[in-house]
Amino acid sequence: MPRYVMVIDVERCIGCMACVITCKKENDVPAEHYRTRVVEEVRGEFPHLRMELRSELCNHCENAPCIDACPTRASYRAKDGTVQIDKIKCIGCKACILACPYDARYSHPKGYADKCTFCEHRIKEGKKPACVETCLGKSRIFGDLDEPNSEVAELLKKYDASVRLEFAGTKPRVFYIKKKFAGGM
Amino acid sequence: MIELSITGTNAITFPYLEVWDWRIVIYLFLGGLSAGMLVMCSIANLRIPKQPVEELAQCFKAPFIAFISLAIGAPFILLDLGRPFNSFWLFSTFQPLSLMSWGAWGVPAVLLGNALYMFAVIPKEQRYKLRLPILIKISEKLAPKMRPIAKLNFALGIFLGIYTGVLLSSFSAIPLWNNATLPILFLVSALSSGAAMIVIIAHKPEIKFLFTKIDIWLIVAELVVIMLFFYGLYTSTAPYKKAIEPFFSLTSEHFIFTMALIAIFLLLPLALRLKLGELKEFEDGFHGEFTKEQIFRMNFAAILVLAGTLILRAAIVYAGQLTKLGAY
Repeated sequence: MPRYVMVIDVERCIGCMACVITCKKENDVPAEHYRTRVVEEVRGEFPHLRMELRSELCNHCENAPCIDACPTRASYRAKDGTVQIDKIKCIGCKACILACPYDARYSHPKGYADKCTFCEHRIKEGKKPACVETCLGKSRIFGDLDEPNSEVAELLKKYDASVRLEFAGTKPRVFYIKKKFAGGM
Repeated sequence: MIELSITGTNAITFPYLEVWDWRIVIYLFLGGLSAGMLVMCSIANLRIPKQPVEELAQCFKAPFIAFISLAIGAPFILLDLGRPFNSFWLFSTFQPLSLMSWGAWGVPAVLLGNALYMFAVIPKEQRYKLRLPILIKISEKLAPKMRPIAKLNFALGIFLGIYTGVLLSSFSAIPLWNNATLPILFLVSALSSGAAMIVIIAHKPEIKFLFTKIDIWLIVAELVVIMLFFYGLYTSTAPYKKAIEPFFSLTSEHFIFTMALIAIFLLLPLALRLKLGELKEFEDGFHGEFTKEQIFRMNFAAILVLAGTLILRAAIVYAGQLTKLGAY
């Protein structure tokens, strides 16, 4: 089975927010709710400033706290390793929203918990997630980590990758690389 | 200096979590109260060595009130569900790592055990109040089994009291909740509130006095555990240390949490002081009935304990959601 991951090349993000918009359109995300976000982080004192643009989304963690917290198995791990939500089984208890250290989930106006699915419906058709497809700076790269020649596997071999909140022990499947600057996030 | 600009935030998680609210506070309070009452009234009913069956039940109103308390409290978590009509899915599986799943199976189990207890402790002369012959028959059948049922309810009460704390402490993403002291704190405060409630509802002076004495130990334990809870977080890593800041903040935004902590440390010691006063007053035994003033004082101290328990739960539920493990 594939092991889908996303690699985000932080240096290539131009902050156009196309990923945020296209995700909403592709997945019919309701108004004022988002499955992905872009964080613009400016550090330092003027004039010595450094800005980082960082896309954030569900990390499809290997040790997903949301799956453990779910009382109905509505949050489950799909065969391809991604974390998905069975909307029918979700009772809207919001335990998964509290359990997620990445704030990746939100409560859909219809009552169920919702989050990024890595565009499961598109992957099944052999396509890439909508945010990856639309990314102007080619900052978001998606693929199967178990495929040695895949772009994601090559990038993770070549560059020092980090994950968000590594100390939380969730083993995220969204990796961040910085081609110019080494070091963590 | 860090300046953040985020496109695509959800109001439920940013700038801080607004996931669980007063409904969960009521659930935790009434659940804890019910747990404490079950444990306390089991102690009252089991402490006397075996006697003729009809004399065993010293405490028969408490299981009834514990049942009502939990039966009112449990629907509050249903009110919080986004899709309450889907809650039947809770009973399609048991997820050992999900505390919500433990609650879904555990709370009805406690209610069932509690219902058996209610029927088992009804005194013979009051069984006619059940009206329905079948209920009277159930009560007659269960009465001889009062002691094992009381033991079961003692265990169920401990389970429920701990569960209300573990429900919160299982969330590793929330530093204030995610520590092993919280379930102990909630259990002790649940037991304390149960003892306080029994002091209020009991008629017999010796029962009131017994639970006043028990509550003294529980209040002392609660105050110690609260201090250990904060100390443990203070000596931990940055997110955990930050999580207790609202309780020691004088800014208008968080002052309410500081007020809550001050209130807890005023109400509980005051209740303790009143109870110690009662202890001294009756150290050579009580003679006849309590005076109205004595009863008022006992009830007042018990109400202080209940208020402290409620404030504690509300403060921890709300303050916990202010600090995340992965704060930006």
